Amino acid sequence: MQRISPRIVSCHPRWCLAALLLCTGTLQAEEQKIEAALAQPTEFSAADLEHFEKRIRPLLHKHCYECHSGDAKVLQGGLRLDGRDLLLTGGDSGPALVPGKPDQSLLIEAIRYQGTSFDMPPGGKLSDHEIRLLEDWVARGAPFPGGSSLDVAPQKSINYDEGRKFWSFQPLARQEPPPRKQDQWSRAKIDPFILAKLEEHGLTPSPAAARATLIRRLSFNLIGLPPTPEEIAQFVNDTSPNAYEQLVDRLLASPHYGERWGRMWLDLARYSDTTESWLGATTHAHLYRDWVIRAFNEDLPYDQFVRRQLATDMLEETGLEDLPALGFLGLSPTYFKELLLPPDIIKVIVADEWEERVDAVGRTFLGLTLACARCHDHKFDPISTEDYYALAGVFASTRMTQRPMIPDEQYAPVATAKATVAELKEQLQKLGKAKPKPADEIAALEQKIKEIETSTPDYHTPMAHVVEDESLYVELAGSDPQSGTKLVHRPEPQNLNLFIRGNPNRLGPVIPRRFLTVLSPGEPEAFQQGSGRLELAQAILNDAGPLTARVIVNRVWQGHFGRGLVDTPSNFGRLGSLPTHPELLEDLTARFVENGWSLKWLHREIVLSATYQQASSHDGQKFAIDPDNHWLWRMNRRRLDVEPWRDAMLAVSGQLDLSQGGPGLPLDELSNHRRTIYGTIHRREISKTLAMHDFPDPGLHSPQRINTTTPLQGLFLLNSPFVMEQARVLAARLQQEQPASLPDRVQRAHQLVFGRDATPAEVQLAREYIPDKPNSPQTPDSISANTAEPESSTEPVSPPEVDAAWVRYAHALLASNEFLFID
Amino acid sequence: MSLPSDWNSLLPRRAMLQKLGGGMGLLGAAHVLSREAAAAPTNGQFPSPHFPPRAKRVIHLFMNGGPFQGDLFDPKPALEKYAGQRPEGANLRTERPTGGLLASTAQFSPRGESGVPVSEYLPKLGACIDDICVLRSLHADNPNHGPALLQMNNGTILPTRPSMGAWFQYGLGTENENLPGYIVLCPGRPVRFSVLWNSAFLPSAHQGTYVNHSDLTPGKLIPYLQNESQDRATQRQQLDLMQRINALHLQAHGPDQALEARIASLETAFRMQSEAHEAFDLERESKATREAYGSGHYANGCLLARRLVERGVRFVQLYYGNGQPWDTHSKHNETVQKLCRDIDQPTAALLTDLKQRGLLEDTLVIWGGEFGRTPTSENGDGRDHNHHGFTMWLAGGGIRGGMTYGETDDFGFRAAYNKVHVHDLHATILNQLGLDHERLTFHYAGRDYRLTDVHGRVVREILA
Repeated sequence: MQRISPRIVSCHPRWCLAALLLCTGTLQAEEQKIEAALAQPTEFSAADLEHFEKRIRPLLHKHCYECHSGDAKVLQGGLRLDGRDLLLTGGDSGPALVPGKPDQSLLIEAIRYQGTSFDMPPGGKLSDHEIRLLEDWVARGAPFPGGSSLDVAPQKSINYDEGRKFWSFQPLARQEPPPRKQDQWSRAKIDPFILAKLEEHGLTPSPAAARATLIRRLSFNLIGLPPTPEEIAQFVNDTSPNAYEQLVDRLLASPHYGERWGRMWLDLARYSDTTESWLGATTHAHLYRDWVIRAFNEDLPYDQFVRRQLATDMLEETGLEDLPALGFLGLSPTYFKELLLPPDIIKVIVADEWEERVDAVGRTFLGLTLACARCHDHKFDPISTEDYYALAGVFASTRMTQRPMIPDEQYAPVATAKATVAELKEQLQKLGKAKPKPADEIAALEQKIKEIETSTPDYHTPMAHVVEDESLYVELAGSDPQSGTKLVHRPEPQNLNLFIRGNPNRLGPVIPRRFLTVLSPGEPEAFQQGSGRLELAQAILNDAGPLTARVIVNRVWQGHFGRGLVDTPSNFGRLGSLPTHPELLEDLTARFVENGWSLKWLHREIVLSATYQQASSHDGQKFAIDPDNHWLWRMNRRRLDVEPWRDAMLAVSGQLDLSQGGPGLPLDELSNHRRTIYGTIHRREISKTLAMHDFPDPGLHSPQRINTTTPLQGLFLLNSPFVMEQARVLAARLQQEQPASLPDRVQRAHQLVFGRDATPAEVQLAREYIPDKPNSPQTPDSISANTAEPESSTEPVSPPEVDAAWVRYAHALLASNEFLFID
Repeated sequence: MSLPSDWNSLLPRRAMLQKLGGGMGLLGAAHVLSREAAAAPTNGQFPSPHFPPRAKRVIHLFMNGGPFQGDLFDPKPALEKYAGQRPEGANLRTERPTGGLLASTAQFSPRGESGVPVSEYLPKLGACIDDICVLRSLHADNPNHGPALLQMNNGTILPTRPSMGAWFQYGLGTENENLPGYIVLCPGRPVRFSVLWNSAFLPSAHQGTYVNHSDLTPGKLIPYLQNESQDRATQRQQLDLMQRINALHLQAHGPDQALEARIASLETAFRMQSEAHEAFDLERESKATREAYGSGHYANGCLLARRLVERGVRFVQLYYGNGQPWDTHSKHNETVQKLCRDIDQPTAALLTDLKQRGLLEDTLVIWGGEFGRTPTSENGDGRDHNHHGFTMWLAGGGIRGGMTYGETDDFGFRAAYNKVHVHDLHATILNQLGLDHERLTFHYAGRDYRLTDVHGRVVREILA
């Protein structure tokens, strides 16, 4: 008998959702276990059958068939009770009854309501009389009229050979540029592919963007910062033929490149600095963030970038400095586990965590939604539940922990010292409770702790958040069923049993740890080395290499154009979109792999193209043909994400602190002038600034930002201490740099904020807004009146007196669309 | 500051924007666009109900910590009779070990014309019982606060799903552009905090706006609502300047819906400053009304809730208090009387006030905690969490009043008859809002998600 609506499972069966919403006919088919159902028909007496029709069928109909019959809207537990063969076959938990043996029949066990999670029906216990009727019926051999009621086809197993033919699983090959009618436009190998599609749709490319536009676009795209007016002037006036290439190379070599592109990765990696106090501490999370930034800056080949994040500890060629790479797994979201509760509840939470890892790895590296296969075969992609548990086993054999980035022998004394300090602190706590407080003793202990901490070399050495191979088991804490749960770690890796319908309390066969069948050349081989993390990484890069490469190339394309060639960047399966330019994606990806998986090569290839360098101007005719710009007849105008937007405001006011790395600082504090990527990310309490500007949930893999336009953002713009403070400092800067003439100051303002000169109309606008003589100077006092909120812990730098009208004018420029949108 | 006297006639903002829009009334168009952009930038859905709604707004009075039903709406005389004993049903999996049955100190009497029994601890609320449908058979999946709070708000025990308010916003959009459509009031911070009103994978515009109303200064309630260094006229002039700058930019670079939407949303923000001030300002209420609601944070919250729904806020959630005040693991019987004194008058006043204003008809009021408490005692005088059976009630918004639905067992351990799971509650709430819980979906990570996951049954038996 199944748990029709099991208490434990019903709280989290997201994996069943697709079944409900997307799959109609196949569900029952999957559930059938054919062989048993073809049992020999049995003869029953007329009296038996009459009794069934009068007493038993109405009971089953009333209490069970809503969920357990061919009429069930959603069949629960794979179990049907509307045919004898179906009862004998049973569902996910096996046969529902054993004829003649009520005590061995799951159906009877369930209706007896013995306080287990199997209790049925879920709406409440049947009357004693009804229960007796059913017991008696089973004891009489469960008479049931009619032959087999099996009216559905046997389960279709996944056809992997067919599955392997899907476009994104194909081997990579360079492509010949398609024919074009005429082509004086192309500059890079990307361009002919774009041009051919444009021609096909009756479109032509837009003219090249102006140089000032181009440097602004490029600068934001590659390093996430605006160019200075001086950099712009230099580039605009540089007549050398390779000026643009030099600019590209300079920006790619900038240490700020990693801060811009590393953030893209952190969205995927669900990075956060801190989490709830009752979950494991993540004190040194920033080591992972900084490792990612450094990897981008050093152009660590993408294959190595992937391998190190999954298994750097198992590689010979990498050292301790790479340990933080494991933060991709080592900083995974964890969920609260109340160990006073019984294991069957905790097992579900642990299974949810494993699912989270499978999902994050699947979507980030492979662009596949593997977690869909937790409780049934994937409805659309050739991924079986066995595949899912083969991977989940890897994470079930992996433990999140911390490791020092110094050699073990160097750390050994630190470990000893830390253990001693922990003991001393315990003593200290006890003494603190004693009455009267032994002040001397306490002081002595405190002194001792301080001594150890300061005298032990490397005592405060940072601890990277890593994973190591260790299996987790969820076990009953004592012998009493009410004794709660203990979590036990054992060094040996484990293979998971398949969880029937995703429920860890209902076990199917053991599934060896291995890679996905469809992406393996033949039958996938079981992983041999520890948890199998390294073998998983190798499989992602070798067996699934073409897919893995396509996924990252598409992400980088999305970073430059605002939309990927495949516009479902983390779903390259059948429910994902097809590429708009398949040959281009193939060719670019093939060459990316040939060029050593170099992301900087890829950026260069993209931004040197004529496609990238187009203007973003509107064109009514082309817009009518392709309003969404699928065929890239122009550059997309892009709205800055919150990070470059905030950074740019600090940059133009002159306050931006470009120091790199280290622990995060609270973003809502005015004194924080660092780049936004260094702001503290709390997994559940995102800073106000980030939360209202479309920063993604850091508990979830986020493949793209979703832009929203809301009045709350408008309030931030009009009234936030941050924007007002930048306006004030910008106005002061303008006054200092251009004290005399209004038009000169307006020019300087436009150069700083928009990267271009002001038009006469704009100068006129300023002239009308700003009175001739300064009055009502805005002093620090009037600013602090506004910022006297808890977040304003800044110590105001004593600014020169700035005319309030200029502050408001600077504010208006910072609040403008032109400052937020990049052409 | 002085401005040219003809400042406003130089190029009136609206006229200029309209001119730019080629005569189509661009500001109006942008207004619409911004709503769409805010409400459904992805998945291509325009927010609208699936069928005519019975409720347009929801107020959720959240007794955080979890009240014990046997004190309030679900009398259990057997508790007294068998006090101290431990019947078979007591072997519930709850958070902590419990002992024998602990009698409630509350007396019940039939109230209203319907005669539904209500505790003497809630005398004023009892007078409203004919408008209330008491659901006595709620049950949930987890006995810990965090997961249970998540399930009550987000449908699952995992912190990865959108809150129900975010789903409402996503499904229905907003009724008042000048106020956030989803406001969470708490005099302090409920446990788990912002994840309870997050938007998860739904667009972030749908997340709840958290307001700590322990300080009633309107300017402090909504982030960045006030600009203390400029008066309104000065700011209007500054905004005019901003919009002129934006208009010049749009003229040179448009048409572009994203640019236009942002221009419009700035105007909305400007209006929100005064509208939200007004909405949150309890000083504008008459003395009689203030007295009817009584004093204290919860009373203020109830009155704020009425002011907000009156102005078209879709969903107001009011947490009773900081932390989890209803979490009576010890001194249960003393604490519950104080808590009841605190909620009785304001809750009754809210229902009466809504009714008098004709708002109760299409405002659904929900009352309850994240779970209930055990009939057995914890450490003698406390009660542990109980998710197996607890009471919530609904009023207004097309719900039948003066009735009870479902039953717990004789002691109140478990929901026993006509059980209502949290998923069923969510399905019912969505139904009243005109939304089919099976059709309100969002495609994410390869799957279509719902508030009710794969569950949920509309409890039609309680619909008016």
